[in-house]
Amino acid sequence: MTADEYLSQVLASQSLGDDSDEVKAMQKHRVEVEKLIRDTHEDTVLTIRYAGSKAKGTMNKESYDLDIISYVNSGDNTAGETLEDIYNNFKKTLGNKYSVEPKGSALRLKGCDPQNLGIDFHIDVVPGRFTDETKTDAYLYQSGGDKQRLKTNLDVHLDHVRDSGVIDAIRVAKLWRVRNSLPIRTFVLELAVIQLLEDKKKVTLSAQMKHFWTELRDNAANLTVEDPANPNGNDLSICLDQGLKSQLAAAAKRTLDQIESSGWEAVFGKIEKQEKTARVEILRQAATVAMPSRPWLPEA
Amino acid sequence: MTWHRDNPALYTKEKEEVEAYFPDLHFVVENDVVYVRGSFPLIFEGKILDRYSVELQFPRNHPAGLPAVRETGGRIPHHNDRHVNPADGTACVLIPDERWRLWPAGAPLIKFLIGPLHSFFLAQTMVEEGEPWPFSQWEHGARGIFQYYRELLKTSNLRVITTYLDYLAAKHVKGHWPCPCGSGSKVRDCHFGQIKDLRDKISRKDARNSLTALKKAGSTAIEMTEAKPVAPDSARSQFS
Repeated sequence: MTADEYLSQVLASQSLGDDSDEVKAMQKHRVEVEKLIRDTHEDTVLTIRYAGSKAKGTMNKESYDLDIISYVNSGDNTAGETLEDIYNNFKKTLGNKYSVEPKGSALRLKGCDPQNLGIDFHIDVVPGRFTDETKTDAYLYQSGGDKQRLKTNLDVHLDHVRDSGVIDAIRVAKLWRVRNSLPIRTFVLELAVIQLLEDKKKVTLSAQMKHFWTELRDNAANLTVEDPANPNGNDLSICLDQGLKSQLAAAAKRTLDQIESSGWEAVFGKIEKQEKTARVEILRQAATVAMPSRPWLPEA
Repeated sequence: MTWHRDNPALYTKEKEEVEAYFPDLHFVVENDVVYVRGSFPLIFEGKILDRYSVELQFPRNHPAGLPAVRETGGRIPHHNDRHVNPADGTACVLIPDERWRLWPAGAPLIKFLIGPLHSFFLAQTMVEEGEPWPFSQWEHGARGIFQYYRELLKTSNLRVITTYLDYLAAKHVKGHWPCPCGSGSKVRDCHFGQIKDLRDKISRKDARNSLTALKKAGSTAIEMTEAKPVAPDSARSQFS
């Protein structure tokens, strides 16, 4: 099997179709979230849309999420006067049904009732307000960082990624981030992939990835990315500090060394597709040779 | 001081061993606390059956203490039935008193990962698939402790069990003390060898914690007991 056949298998094993259980569950929550927000803020005209990897076509099974942008119209104060008010009001609204974890400009939804406490629904709600009546640019509240306000444009972001010509490389890079526990934000990683592969769109995926990792290994310290929706306004350097760059360089070196010494399969492992019944049978077999260890809990 | 600075050679050894075996797990030091984070694979016959995003947080006294284990992918509900503490999301991989069998104090970390941790997550995957817990499970809290010692000591007598725990938690055990089995003999003439063996295996701290939990729960909470009073209370009262 060639490197590109292998990567193709990796991506196939990570794909999440619209009929997958994961996507169905997310869509169900999406309906609930939208209803919850609209019912609570019935005086507010809201634009609610999918964003994130679902809209960009960069979803991976191993780490996926659904961004739901929820923007109010420019000049509409019914959901809150300031961006922070809107953010906090939406957080309160969502808190009636979910455990809400603030995450930059987004609100991550997790289970809060006893049966699904701690379950991550992989949904981020991103509240904001359009900057004007054209409903293109929007301001988001930023709970961390120097600035409290972030100007962005969903369609510019989506187009930038969708039209990049390196969607597969982005998906491989996202999987690589998960496997290496790299604390780089998705959007920053996507921008880095697009930028580093600017002149490599015509080469094979394996060549793209080798180039991406080589650049990170050798030049991560000089890497800078720009927000295409606001190139001069949003400083993404805080999302890509020297500590993170060192981590990226080290992980890239490790990956290239793995490919060199053991081949591509060492990077993401063997890909095996199993039917459910066969999977259960293999799990049972695995249990017969595993160390019999019984879980406990200190206090019921 | 904490273990990774007290014993840098141990830190390097653990890190090298773990990262060689599990390339997707990574050691991180944050605020002087050591964590292992990453993607933990369930491997059988060289194939990866499943993966979990995990974080292991090491106590300052590693390897004496047990790491706090968390599944960080939001996949396992924080529910007692899944052996994940709803309060803080920590997974209870094993009962500390049984550690000697699964991952003895001082054994390399890799043994914990390929042993009880692997079994814990394998069991979680099987439960997700609608299968029963493959290795069974201890009941929660004091009932689980009682269950463990009932199997270990082959007695359902709560008084005998707590007396054994008194002896395991005591600084020293004197030969003239009454045997916890309730035979009326001195311990040196009865179960001294067994007690010595258990004291080597189960830490005084774990025994003390279990004793406290059992005493707090009392016999009413240990409803499964078929208690028959075979041992006088005198032995326990000396060491309580």
